[in-house]
Parts: sequence; C-alpha cells; structure tokens
Amino acid sequence: MATPLSVLEEKRKQAKSMLEKKGYFSDIRVYVGMATCEIAAGSVPVMEVFKNELKNEKNVYISQKGCAGRCNLEPTVEIYQKDKKPVKYIQVTPEKAKEIIKKHIKNGEIITEWVGK
Amino acid sequence: MGKQKFTDNFSAVFGDQNFFKKQKRIALKNCGLIDPENIDDYIYANGYTALATVLTEMTPDDVIKTVKDSGLRGRGGAGFPTGIKWEAAAKQENDEKFVVCNADEGDPGAFMDRSIIEGDPHAIVEGMAIGAYAVGASKGVVYLRAEYPLAIKRLQKAIEDARKENFLGNNILSSNFSFDMEIRLGAGAFVCGEETALMNSIEGKRGMPRTRPPFPAVSGLFGKPTLLNNVETWANISSIIVNGADWFSSIGVNKSKGTKVFALAGKITNTGLAEIPMGMTLREIIYDVGGGIPNGKKFKAVQTGGPSGGCLTESMLETTIDYESLTKAGSIMGSGGMIIIDETSCMVNIAKFFLEFTQSESCGKCVPCREGIKRMLEILTRITDGEGQTGDIEKLEDLGNMIKKASLCGLGQSAPNPVLSTIKNFREEYEEHVEKKMCRSLVCEKLLTYTINDKCIGCSACRRSCPVGAIVGLPKEPHIIHQELCIKCGKCYRSCKFHAIDKTSIAKEQK
Repeated sequence: MATPLSVLEEKRKQAKSMLEKKGYFSDIRVYVGMATCEIAAGSVPVMEVFKNELKNEKNVYISQKGCAGRCNLEPTVEIYQKDKKPVKYIQVTPEKAKEIIKKHIKNGEIITEWVGK
Repeated sequence: MGKQKFTDNFSAVFGDQNFFKKQKRIALKNCGLIDPENIDDYIYANGYTALATVLTEMTPDDVIKTVKDSGLRGRGGAGFPTGIKWEAAAKQENDEKFVVCNADEGDPGAFMDRSIIEGDPHAIVEGMAIGAYAVGASKGVVYLRAEYPLAIKRLQKAIEDARKENFLGNNILSSNFSFDMEIRLGAGAFVCGEETALMNSIEGKRGMPRTRPPFPAVSGLFGKPTLLNNVETWANISSIIVNGADWFSSIGVNKSKGTKVFALAGKITNTGLAEIPMGMTLREIIYDVGGGIPNGKKFKAVQTGGPSGGCLTESMLETTIDYESLTKAGSIMGSGGMIIIDETSCMVNIAKFFLEFTQSESCGKCVPCREGIKRMLEILTRITDGEGQTGDIEKLEDLGNMIKKASLCGLGQSAPNPVLSTIKNFREEYEEHVEKKMCRSLVCEKLLTYTINDKCIGCSACRRSCPVGAIVGLPKEPHIIHQELCIKCGKCYRSCKFHAIDKTSIAKEQK
C-alpha cells in the first residue's frame, strides 16, 4: 500500500524531471533576487537583461530567488556553475548584468571586483 | 539532495564570511536558495519530507512530543513554549479546530516574516499542515497584512500548487488526513498582531483584543479551539521533524533553543536579515555579523523588540540572546527587530518615536492604554520641546508602570517599555532635557541654537534660505542670526557651504 512517504518519493522524481525539462541541470544556473526588498533595489530590470540576453542560450537556467538577507548589497545575483564554487555578485545594475553575461557566463571570467566578500 | 547541503553552511555558498559564518539557518534555510514560486524546487530541496514522515510514521502525540522536546518557543515575541500550546489545543474535544498563522508583522523596521513568506512560502504550508495533523484541525488561516502584496501572491500560489499536488486537500498523500488553508488579509493595524485581536479581525469584527482566559487553544477563532503560531515558528517545524528534537535542542542555550531571525536596521554596516543561534552575545551580532557602526560613529544603544522592547547600552553588550537574558537586561526578544542606535540619536526622541507609534495604534478598548499612553506622549513631547518640568521623569515612570500592569493586551502592557528602559539606562539625557533644556545629540529641534561663526564670508545664502527673516547682514560681511526670531528649522545650516553656522545645544541653567 502506498504510504505518504512513497507518494512523496514519486512526486520528488516527477519534480526532478520537471526541473530537468526546464533546464535546471544546465551547466550554469543564474539566480536573481526577486523579493520585495530586491525589487525595490532594482532587480526587475536586471532580471530582464538576463532573460533577454540569454534566451537563446541552451545551457543556462535562469531563476528568481527570495531574499538572503543582505539588504545593503542588493540586488544580488548568484551564478552556480557545475563543480565550481558559486559566485555572488552584489549591487547589480542592468549594465553590470550585461558585463557579467559577456565575461562570466560566456567566457568563464569572474569579475572579482563586483563579487561579495 | 543537491541543495540541502548548502543550507548547512551559507558562507560556503556565498562567500561573505563575516556575515554568514556565525549564522545558522533553520527558518531561513531555503530563503535565497530556491525559486519560491516553483513547488518543484521546494520538493527537490527535501520539501514536504516532514509532512510525509509525520503522516506515515508518527501519531499526533508523537508530533507534539517532538515539538515539546525540541524546546521550540513562540517566535512572535512572547516566547511561550510551542509544544505546550500544541498539546493544549490537541486536548480539546471539538468537531472543528483551526490552525492560524500570524503573519501580521507590524514592528517598524522588521521584515523577518515577509522574507520567509516571499522566499520559502511552502515552509509555512508544510508547517501548518503538520500542526493541523497534531492537534486535529482541518482548516488553516494565514492572517497576512495587505501591505505585503508579493508575499500574498507567492503564498497564494504556494497554496494552490500544494493543493494540486495533494499536500493540501482531502486525504493528503493518500493518508486519512485532510486539511486546507486560506489567506485572510489584515489592513495593517498593529494591534491585530495580538492573537485575540487577530482572531476578531478574521471573524470580521473590529480588531480589538479579548480578555484571556479563555485562551485561543480553548476558545479561539469562531469560538473553536485554535492553534496560533507566528510565521517563524511555523517555518521551524519541518526542520525539527526531519532532523529530530535532539538536534534542535542541541542548538541554543538554557531555556532558549534553536535560532532567531533578526532584522538588523539603523546605524549598522550590514543591514539585513540574520538568523543566529540562541546564546550569541549582542556584541557578536552587532560587531561580527552586523559589521559594527558605520562612519566612525560611536555605538550608543541597541533596541530590540520594536515598540514593545527596550534599549540596551554598551555595558550590556555581553548579554546573550535568549528570552530570559534579554528580559533580565530590561528589553525583550520580541519578534526580531534590532535597531542599532549611534551617538547621533537622542534617546528621548527615540522613546517619543516609539510612543507615537503605539499611541496611534492603540485600539482604545482599555483605559490605561488609551489614556495613559497619550498622557505619556504629552509629557515626552513637552520634554523634547524644552518645556519639561521637574518631576516629569518620575511621572513618566509612574504612568509607565501603571500602564504595564493594568492594560488588557500585550500592546499596552509593553508600550511603556521604550520609555522606561531609556529612562533607566539614559536618565542623564532626560535630566538634561528637563533641567538644562539641552539635547546633547543635537536632535530635539527646539533645544538647538544656530549661530554664525567667523568663517562667514557674507555670501547671503543663509539669509535667502531663512523663512522668517531672522538672518541679517550686508553682502561680503559676516551675518548674524536674531535668536528671538529664529524658529530653528535648520535651513540656514544646510544652505551654508563654508561651515560658518554652528548647531549647538547649550545648557540653560538659570531657568
């Protein structure tokens, strides 16, 4: 008989395949902070830049995220790369976002001066 | 699970060593790591494991015992042991019970609950479903303030998604347990964060507190037994179930277990949300996590607990963060607001600010709060206006203690705290205001004096800016301010580019 745990196990497999379809397991995952505080700091135009400029990139997954609690450094953007330490960019503007795409995402070159310490 | 390991050590993910290293994330475990609007993200990050575990392996009594053994206490401020509350609600025999989430976050400068709901809404859904199972409730209500539109949207989506996936609804995950929940919006009254006023508001009545007992666990929402917890309390539940009561109670000190989220605000370098283990000292949270005071200013006080809390001084920075120690020091844990005050702030003015807030939020039902706070505010206003009278400080203390004892609900019982604690810790500032009519922090406008010094080149910028014509002087010659005309608006001070205007507050002994 199906127990709630076994039902959940099924659901988790489904969730994983749904995420897979959406490209979650791409080489690069980009998270843009989209809580009220981040939006107030200006994350919506940043998100638009990532979405527009990367819409044809197959290997990049873009997602929103909640607030990690770093109010004075917002908007924040995190970039997770397979087998690498995640990088957190702080106080990202649309212009910085374009640079991040050009250098970091397309060329693998981290822009250290914009990274949170 | 891929992501779960990050939650053990936020600093490994974010770098940001100073800020994250001393934190321990339980209530905020997913905030900033998952997409809050995608249920798949939450499920993949081990979400709903606690609910499924409870429904598969645990009886309601097991759940209550786990919560009790964990030592979790209410995170809304009062710190009542959560397990005992659950037990009391479970004991009631009634065909209908409710679980309620208090998300009416009203403290100025506090935003813990908003961040949790916006960053990890499913944690609330899961926590409440577990609570409902434990006490035998079938209906849940989240009382969320209308000022949080994004939180409302995300929680609404979470509830709908959870329904689709059968984490809510009938026979949840093919068990015998059925539960559903909805959001009710509050219109932003501070008093509706008080549990009985909150329930009145949900019922469509005026948001006024009821007398207790009966407690909500006996007769709560619509007269039914009701289990009511704060957002942060609910957000802790799933981790306690998954990791066990022993794990949770191993974090923290004495009677305060687990972690507490604080909203760091005011004069501090790292403003933001920090979840720290109980037992950390105030000094650690302010100087290590918070990064200290910016601009080379000196620390003066830390205010915890919002309008219900108190101000603690530098000598109290070794106080550990737990319910008992903070109360003993003269403040409270509160819901998590932490405002850092530096030397540029006047303590009398800060006390006045908080009292203005509680006075305008008083519901008016009981006399001590309605009338008493108003009188206290009048006295404080008089003091900051330079019209304080000998005996005013004692009068404030008398009134404050009376209001604390006689008020009906938590709002009135705690409203005098900011005044009483600042009198206790900064009495000399009050005395200066009353006796010498001076404000050492140069904040209280009516106690200031503006004068022009010898750096004046006679540019006339101040003269033109003065709205009452109190400044005279010929071009290219030093100007003077006629003190009897000056209304102390400070416009000349801001208009001068040559630092030629001094802002001082001089002791007036003779009065």
